[in-house]
Amino acid sequence: MAAVFHSTILSDRMALVVVAVVAGARTVAWTNDKAVELFGYAPEDFLGLPVEHLLPTLRGGELKLLLRRERTVSMTLPVRSASGAALECVVKATPDQAGRLWTLRVFTVDGDQERAVKATADAHERRFATLTERSPVPMLLSEQGMRLAHVNDAFCALVGLRADQLLGTGWLGVLHPDDLDGVLEQAAAVLDRGEGEVQARLVREDGTVRATVIRFAHFFTPGVGAGFVGTIEDITERLAFETRLAHQAHHDPLTGLPNRTLLAEYVADRFDPAGSGLACIFLDLDNFKVVNDSLGHAAGDVLLVEVAARLRSVVRPNDLVARFGGDEFVVVCDDVDEDDAVALAERIVETLGRPLHIGGLDHRPRASIGVTVQTEEHACAEELIRDCDIAMYQAKVGGGGRITVLDHRARAQARDKLRLVADLRAAIEARDVTLLYQPIFSTADGAPVAVESLARWEHPERGAINPATFVPLAEENGLIAALGLLVLDETCRQLAEWDRVLGADAPARANVNVSALQLDRHLRGHVESALERHGLAASRLSVEITESALVKDPASARTVLLQLRDLGVELAIDDFGTGYSSLAYLRHLPVTCLKVDRSFVAELSDGHPEITTAVIALASSLGLHTVAEGVETAEQAAELARLGATYLQGFSLAQPMSGATLTAWFAGRLSVLR
Amino acid sequence: MTLIDHLHTDRRADMTTTLAAAPVFDIEAVLASIDTMATRKPVAAQIVSVANADGTSAKELSAAVACDVPLAGRVLKLANSAYFGMRGRVTSLQFAVTVVGFTTVRTMATVALTDLDDESRLPADFWDVSTNLALAAAGLAPRFGERPQDALCIGLLAQLGVALLHHNDPGGYAELSARHPAAAARRTAEVRNYGIHALRLTSVALEQWGFPHSMVLPLREVDDLDAPEGGLLRTAFELAGRLCAAGHENVPVPVLSGGRVAERDLAPVLESVRAEAEELRRALLG
Repeated sequence: MAAVFHSTILSDRMALVVVAVVAGARTVAWTNDKAVELFGYAPEDFLGLPVEHLLPTLRGGELKLLLRRERTVSMTLPVRSASGAALECVVKATPDQAGRLWTLRVFTVDGDQERAVKATADAHERRFATLTERSPVPMLLSEQGMRLAHVNDAFCALVGLRADQLLGTGWLGVLHPDDLDGVLEQAAAVLDRGEGEVQARLVREDGTVRATVIRFAHFFTPGVGAGFVGTIEDITERLAFETRLAHQAHHDPLTGLPNRTLLAEYVADRFDPAGSGLACIFLDLDNFKVVNDSLGHAAGDVLLVEVAARLRSVVRPNDLVARFGGDEFVVVCDDVDEDDAVALAERIVETLGRPLHIGGLDHRPRASIGVTVQTEEHACAEELIRDCDIAMYQAKVGGGGRITVLDHRARAQARDKLRLVADLRAAIEARDVTLLYQPIFSTADGAPVAVESLARWEHPERGAINPATFVPLAEENGLIAALGLLVLDETCRQLAEWDRVLGADAPARANVNVSALQLDRHLRGHVESALERHGLAASRLSVEITESALVKDPASARTVLLQLRDLGVELAIDDFGTGYSSLAYLRHLPVTCLKVDRSFVAELSDGHPEITTAVIALASSLGLHTVAEGVETAEQAAELARLGATYLQGFSLAQPMSGATLTAWFAGRLSVLR
Repeated sequence: MTLIDHLHTDRRADMTTTLAAAPVFDIEAVLASIDTMATRKPVAAQIVSVANADGTSAKELSAAVACDVPLAGRVLKLANSAYFGMRGRVTSLQFAVTVVGFTTVRTMATVALTDLDDESRLPADFWDVSTNLALAAAGLAPRFGERPQDALCIGLLAQLGVALLHHNDPGGYAELSARHPAAAARRTAEVRNYGIHALRLTSVALEQWGFPHSMVLPLREVDDLDAPEGGLLRTAFELAGRLCAAGHENVPVPVLSGGRVAERDLAPVLESVRAEAEELRRALLG
């Protein structure tokens, strides 16, 4: 009993009921005021009341479950008040030592405060549910692990399934099989802690696929475990747009083929320096310019599209066909040897050659094709592409419409040429390309009246490089402009030097050769600048242009020549007679001199003066001077003078000399003449 | 009058079943055994206690579970089972505790505490019924506004009372079960024979071990069709009966569920339960 009353003293806010066994029945033996208040019985009615009346769910023998003799038992169960109302309570029954009395401590569990707390929690729950359910952002909420407890309408709409099909682990079924591992990895990491996101495809009920980013955030419920909230962003359209942009950046819009950038990446990805079997086939359409010029660019485009389609149709599914640029295409194939690659090139020739009707005409496309298969000499992917380009070029030079395989020798030659180009570039920049000057004599009195500047290149390892080698090399590799400027500037500098040293005895004029590639709108400016820079009159300079240069683009050449003439520069046609210029056209060019090619002069010694005679006569009839080149003998000189040539130039008369040597030569020669 | 006699006398008024043989069952001993189980398996009891505490962290709970190696293995196995969808990614016990949840860990510890993992001492269909019941309850839980994980645990432990009755009267309980395959009729027979039916006994045990009232209440209310708290478990028992019991006589689920579940809703739940029951059983029993 002491314990019972001790409890009573401890709290007057707790309902206490003492139960005793009286005549085999368990009845109320004592209560405190709080119990009277809670149960609503008058004190006199409370005492002696069977406990079953207060605890209706423990009717019958189940009261024994609460009133144990051995231990305290706690139960949550409804208690019944005097009015019959049920009130959910925790009832804690503690026996006395004899096991005949129990003290029941009764706590209400649904009091006002608890109801308020529960109402607040419910309101939070409803707000959260409303927020998520109606959110346009697809969301999912895991309860524990990967098992979903909630998905919102937006997520259901995104995947085309009902919520009950997605709850639990059902949602894993909508993940694309290839993305499932990534999602599980990320979600597992987030279940541990933190946040994370993963890109994943969702397969809708109708089989369509949506690309998404799923962002996970960890949450932990005390006493329950870890879960996550997932929000899903549908990035299908954005990815499609990015894919289109990426495609456009890497593909040719006309043919839809991969472009040069993608080609480079593709070959680089597959290139293994220790490997083999990677082959590139480079195609350049023959006469594409003719189609463009004669049938128009639209027809040219039709041709390119058709060629692209034919190439795609003839290669293997895994081979790459790329448009390298213009009318150039490259096919890349893997796991092939040279025979395979050549066989493919032959199939390409055959397929391309089928008739094509464009612009009202039947056309049979033809291409020059270069083939290269990777060898141990290829250090990188760029070399492989460059080699097949070289091979194509060789095929083109060989007449077009053919297949050339870049073999070991050809590759060595090509690389040697590349090295020479690099050396030439360096030599021009260092002004290691020097000039020799060959005097030109008047037939009237034998006096030296001018010089021709001749470029010379002394290679540090290879010795003297013939101009017939390095000038075309410069033209092919974009160095001719720099070389031409060097010659022009150095000639003018030397003329000014001679003026300073020789005074009135200095050469009256210097001839410089100009390449066809220099005949552009910049030439006049360059010439004018050089003359100004060295304080020379324009008449001191004569520009020599080959006949073939004039033939390539006569109208443009004439425009440039007129500009030079207006400047006051003399103009001469070099190697006259070797080209195919129209004599009628010649009449309209502002030239003042024709140079008779050395091959015609040489014929004089063979008893064939016909062409030389005709050229000199022609020049004379047009009021032009003539310079006979390659005069090797005194007899030739005499014959040329007799035929009416104005000037003579040749080894027998004077060899090309350096500027310094020529200064002395000029001084000595003129003093003899005087 | 013993408690059993008293119970029988009290129930006779509203039960129309035939009279059974005189009970030999000592409910006092059963209740006492619930008290002593914790003493016999202190590690499992400690896990139940730690899992019950509000402030327990996953680290603390996993540390407690780690002391029971077989149980730790089962928790890891369950965390990696198809039910939780983790597909072998759970490699640490702490993470496993996090994934399966504290309630599940407590449930598994209770299984160990009460020897439910010793199938030789259980009715033959015990775990078939328990796993089907648990998965059915979890599958139906959202329709009742309940957490599937809590429902799973209630389902797993609901038959604890059956095990206790079987432990104490193996022959008698087997005979009783055979004669009364229907759940409600069996419970009536249990009360008649033992003074208490198995679900009530479960609720007493769980309440005694400190399981939350929300897990005890459904067990108490399962026979009262007017009590919504018992609706989920009633309906889950019906599904388990349909899946496990030969000759089961279907009871309409709208009646059992208070209209929350229609017959047409059952197909996906039944399919899911069929698919997952065996693996859940393997994970729980090792």
